[in-house]
Amino acid sequence: MTELLPSEPDAEERDALQPAATPGPRSRRDRIRQGEAWRSVFRHPNLDTPRGRALQSFSNVFLHVYPVKVPARVLRMRYSFRLGFIATVLFSILVSTGVYLMFFYTPSVTSAYGDMQKLRTGVGFGQLMRNVHRWSAHLMVLVVVLHLIRVFYAGAYKRPRQFNWVLGMGLFAITLGFSFTGYLLPWDQLSYWAVTVGTNLVNYVPFIGTLLRDLLIGGEQIGQITLLRFYALHVAVLPVALCVLLMVHIWRVRKDGFAVHRGGVGAFAATDAPADATSSPEPVMALTKDHTRSRLLGVVDREVETAEERPVDDTVFTWPHMLVRHVVVALGTAAVVIALGVAFAAPLRGVANPDSTPEPAKAPWYFVGLQEMLSHFDPLVAGILLPAGVLLVLTFLPYIDRNPATEARNRKVAIVAFSIILIIAVVATVVGLAFRGPGWKFITPWNHSYIEM
Amino acid sequence: MVINRRYFLRRAWKACTAFLGGAAVWTSWEMLKARDVAAGGKITLGNPVDYKDGTATYVREGRLWVVNAGGHLRALSQKCPHLGCRVPFCDSSGRFECPCHGSVFNIGGEYIQGPTPRGMDGYALSVEGDALVVDTGSVITGPENSVQNFDSTAKGPSCAAGG
Ligand code: HEM
Ligand code: FES
Repeated sequence: MTELLPSEPDAEERDALQPAATPGPRSRRDRIRQGEAWRSVFRHPNLDTPRGRALQSFSNVFLHVYPVKVPARVLRMRYSFRLGFIATVLFSILVSTGVYLMFFYTPSVTSAYGDMQKLRTGVGFGQLMRNVHRWSAHLMVLVVVLHLIRVFYAGAYKRPRQFNWVLGMGLFAITLGFSFTGYLLPWDQLSYWAVTVGTNLVNYVPFIGTLLRDLLIGGEQIGQITLLRFYALHVAVLPVALCVLLMVHIWRVRKDGFAVHRGGVGAFAATDAPADATSSPEPVMALTKDHTRSRLLGVVDREVETAEERPVDDTVFTWPHMLVRHVVVALGTAAVVIALGVAFAAPLRGVANPDSTPEPAKAPWYFVGLQEMLSHFDPLVAGILLPAGVLLVLTFLPYIDRNPATEARNRKVAIVAFSIILIIAVVATVVGLAFRGPGWKFITPWNHSYIEM
Repeated sequence: MVINRRYFLRRAWKACTAFLGGAAVWTSWEMLKARDVAAGGKITLGNPVDYKDGTATYVREGRLWVVNAGGHLRALSQKCPHLGCRVPFCDSSGRFECPCHGSVFNIGGEYIQGPTPRGMDGYALSVEGDALVVDTGSVITGPENSVQNFDSTAKGPSCAAGG
């Protein structure tokens, strides 16, 4: 590692590392690239050498998010399905489309709905911008959930990554908060009643339920105060909270090391032994016995061998291997949400009307499972004890599930328990979303669908 | 115990931080607590004899229903005790049928079926002179699901689509 990761060069050395200005005729491109201006912006030397690639990472603030080198296995799709990365991309898309929407949107009960209509008919690409924002939002919730599921089944929340799992649960909660507060903003019948139903779920919290709900919506009923509150949360509080948590989350991914099986005893053995700070600054580089190779340095005095143990280098440079994949995934994600935005319009029903409840009134889809459970069981059990219990156990899972094993066959209890909860949640959500009609009566979606996103 | 400078400072900055935190919580609470926009008030509803037995009259101003359940006048909040949808009265069945999750109440607001935790909430009714007055400031929490004082039988078909 040492030979490939030089320490940061000082300015003079850096200049010396620049490709030498070749004598003779130079192309304009070369002239620009060797000019002072270019070199003041891109300070790393020639990218074609390992040293250059490492320095590229050192000298670039954005590449600093990544380790200089990553285990080759991290590059495989199967490792993470890139779900965390896709969620981050979706968030960037949401920030940029959201800011566009802010230019046209007033958070007032008298104008919000009209603004949405104007956006539809009077603003170039306005409808598309709204569609992309909405589909990205739904997708982000879905991707974050899938990411959580993936991390669970991989056992990647175990030591030393316990705390990053907790951070991830925080990010999950903020994502739901984003989606729920955004849902109200168009101020149509769909948003009004979905948020009415959603906020009234909070009423069932024992003792402080009503207080919490009133704090959330700012009064008895959803109204102007609620709209303004949700707007402030949606465009200011939650973005800041998410950025801070995300920053720490990604930084921890790097510092805790990737949870990637690198063979050897115990999964992720590579990083589970607390990295010895002096010998190995990057935890990814600490390898197990199986991954070392002895090199004979010399034979001294017949019996004594002098040998050096050095790790087999199974790492590759982030730039370009990882980065290229990320760019492709980001472009793919953007393509998907733009295609969705072109193909499907975000719904806009009639203006919110407190005097008429549309049939059926469903909470946003990620809460519909809860709503479905509420129609079967006691509200205290289905609405509060069950979800709060599941959330609490999930949040502190790494401290509850102390089993160090990450292979499925050695953690059957955890996997079975998680899978049962997952299946219940999915079934309840699908039934609530697709199989419920007016009066919450059972319907078959192929006859008449009441799914609304 | 000797309180030296170091000891004092070590405690002092923590105390200051705690104080600031407390102040922040209090400030946030005062700023964000629910503002009671509709504190409720009295609404005059006209002559009680206008409300015939078996009818439910909607009072838009108070978002409530005035019902005559077998001679008993009641004012019922339109808000479903389950998750807050507006509960319409179904003339054909003579019951309140919530469109959201199928809670059904009899004309007196008592539980018949569905996921609701209790019967419909109501408001205090009184007669002043020969006018009926409802006080939307005094909420009467709905009766428990076991309470059955009024007739729950359906007069006719339900209004909920598909059923
Ligand atoms: C800093 C980032 C964001 C900003 C500035 C922003 C801004 C906005 C604005 C102004 C609206 C109202 C216009 C409209 O309803 O279309 C809106 C709606 C919405 N937002 Fe965001 N948003 C951001 C991030 C997010 C995120 C991360 C999510 C979800 C995970 C989200 C979910 C929604 C939803 C579901 C709506 C309703 C969409 C619709 O009906 O068209 N937003 N957002
Ligand atoms: S809100 Fe009336 S049954 Fe759920």
